[in-house]
Amino acid sequence: MNPAASFTLCVVLAYAGMLGLCLGMDRHWKQLATGRLPAYAQRLCRPIGVLSLGLAGWAAGLVWPVGMAIVAWFGSISLAGFVLLMLMPYAPRLALWLPVASGMLLAVAASL
Amino acid sequence: MARAPSLTQSMSGVHTWVGLLLGWALFAIFLTGTLAVFDKEIDWWMAPELTNQDQGPVVAANVAQRWLQANHPTSSSWTIALPTERSPRLAVSVDGQRRGENTPLDAESGEPLAVRDTLGGAFFFHFHYTLHLPRLLGVWVVGFAAMAMLVALVSGIIIHKKIFKDFFTFRPAKGQRSWLDGHNASAVLLLPFHLMITYTGLAIFCVLYMPAAVDALYGGDRQALFREADPAAAAQTGRGFGRDAPKSQAPAAPLLALGQFVEQGEAYYGRGMVAAVSVSDPGQADARVTVRPVLGNRIELTKGQGLTYDGVSGALLHEPAPARASLLTQRVLAGLHFAQFGGYPMRWLYFLCGLVSCAMIGSGLVLYAVKKRKQARDDRFLAVVERLNVSVIAGLAVACLALLWSNRLLPAALEARASAELAAFFGVWLATLLHAMWRPPFHAWREQLLVAAVLALALPLLDFLSADTTDRVRLSIDSAAAMMGLVFGWTAWKVPALSAKGRSEPLLRVRPAGAAQ
Amino acid sequence: MARTAAKDGRAWQVLLLRIVMAVLGGYAFTYAATAALARLLPFDRYDAAAIAMLASFVVYLTFVLWALTTRSSWRVLLGVMATLPLAAIGFWPQLLEGLR
Repeated sequence: MNPAASFTLCVVLAYAGMLGLCLGMDRHWKQLATGRLPAYAQRLCRPIGVLSLGLAGWAAGLVWPVGMAIVAWFGSISLAGFVLLMLMPYAPRLALWLPVASGMLLAVAASL
Repeated sequence: MARAPSLTQSMSGVHTWVGLLLGWALFAIFLTGTLAVFDKEIDWWMAPELTNQDQGPVVAANVAQRWLQANHPTSSSWTIALPTERSPRLAVSVDGQRRGENTPLDAESGEPLAVRDTLGGAFFFHFHYTLHLPRLLGVWVVGFAAMAMLVALVSGIIIHKKIFKDFFTFRPAKGQRSWLDGHNASAVLLLPFHLMITYTGLAIFCVLYMPAAVDALYGGDRQALFREADPAAAAQTGRGFGRDAPKSQAPAAPLLALGQFVEQGEAYYGRGMVAAVSVSDPGQADARVTVRPVLGNRIELTKGQGLTYDGVSGALLHEPAPARASLLTQRVLAGLHFAQFGGYPMRWLYFLCGLVSCAMIGSGLVLYAVKKRKQARDDRFLAVVERLNVSVIAGLAVACLALLWSNRLLPAALEARASAELAAFFGVWLATLLHAMWRPPFHAWREQLLVAAVLALALPLLDFLSADTTDRVRLSIDSAAAMMGLVFGWTAWKVPALSAKGRSEPLLRVRPAGAAQ
Repeated sequence: MARTAAKDGRAWQVLLLRIVMAVLGGYAFTYAATAALARLLPFDRYDAAAIAMLASFVVYLTFVLWALTTRSSWRVLLGVMATLPLAAIGFWPQLLEGLR
């Protein structure tokens, strides 16, 4: 994969990870997912989120050597969390489907 | 007698007052620091005479060498700044001239270029750590503010009871509640960044700020400390490249083509990683060529290091030795702050993190005013705070944009042009303060944010009208400015709702986009 | 009215004193503690100095927060006084030199 794609993947995974952690909290599950996702899915959110955050670190490792990758990983996670924070009240549906949509776009871009 | 306050209460007091009184300085430091992430790119934007010719550093070094050979054959030293990914500028200086006295050359023809005299992006960088005060005083003031930032961060963590529960909480359109949410969340989500950038900023100047260890173990001799840190480098700087180094008496001997040294440097540091070549005693048998890397080939910041070659035989004489662990630690800390590593994706991460830091500081300042206003007292101090808030937050943004505008509006051949740009920056900033004193706070906020929005949104237009060509870096800066313009405009639009003038109900409720009114 | 004003004035004095002790006293304490730490660390001279310098900001931060929030001003004064023994540890060779 080229560095730009890996970096995008890192950011998308970081966002998905933060979204997972966020949906694992009842308050935000109600805000974003009630009526859109089945209730049992909530229990999966936190483990998937943690996994996704870990994978974001792996994706950063594709772009940079270890030291820089750790810096970029922290940065991506923090900024992804902030983007999620701003999207939630103003565009809850976008906040929920952003990782899916961008993941699909990325897959299409990678297959071209 | 009143009961002594609890720890949380007194921490809260510390957080409020330290954050408020140093917050204005901190906002200016963080905003200019954030802009300084792209200092070279802003330099590029501010020198529209420079066009990107995609001339590789190897050829450029040879072009510069030809010009120096023809015009300064007897100088005791040459320094050539090479074009890089971040700067198309090929510039030469001789005999240890300072930066700024150099001659920009056309990378293809080798003819000197008339580039406008401008402050450049370096202004933001210098302002970031000196606030444009006399250097030593400025560094101390910024250091004091950085300590205050640490105090505010740690006291903020202590008083924030529901860090994890409120991790993602942001409830807009609720007046004070929203400001507190935004302040908390931007602080907590980026806490690693805030702590890292503040601590590493202090660490850069640790010998200056806390000379105790040097005083105790080295009798106060800082040079002895630096020599011991890196003995090989100290021995290296002992010779050549001094400002007025005496001309050596060695016999004449032809200098090899500098391009080949750049090639060797690229083989050592990586492609595109060579920033400069300097030559001492060019044209003589003891000529030395030093190839210097850009700052960002590693995390650690190794300023002034390089590969030194014999300029006549081409033999490698000196390469940087691996640093000892403690020195490496200091260099990594400095490097983490300078953010020169990792290329453009990393730069953007730093830039955006910096913007969130600014938002965190700014929201804290506004929060104080919102809170006090709610208590609806006729408060002199509050009036001062509100005016300073407007002119430091919105006003500084206007002033930074005014600097970019003045770069294109002032005639290119103006006498003392860089000083005129400086005057434009501080003049506009002062004007925003006067405006904030004259207008009621909400109007002042709105008008200054609108001015910032217009200046930022029209910046691409200014660029197209006042420069002959364009390229990826100018386009990136134009589009980033336009994005910022949209943010300013959106904020100006929301000001009536954000202000919630002393009432529990906002004048106009901000609703999530798409929700029914 | 006059009494509250006097009380207010005294409160301001106490606060100012506390701030001075935290900021300047804290700096003195940190200076001495850094010197002492650099002297005591069992590493090469340069490494000890570097570690002590980098740790000094944390020491100062802790001292300032503690000094501004602890209840008794006397305790803060005691903390500031701890500068002296720490300085003695940090600068004992210089001290001996001076005493001779």
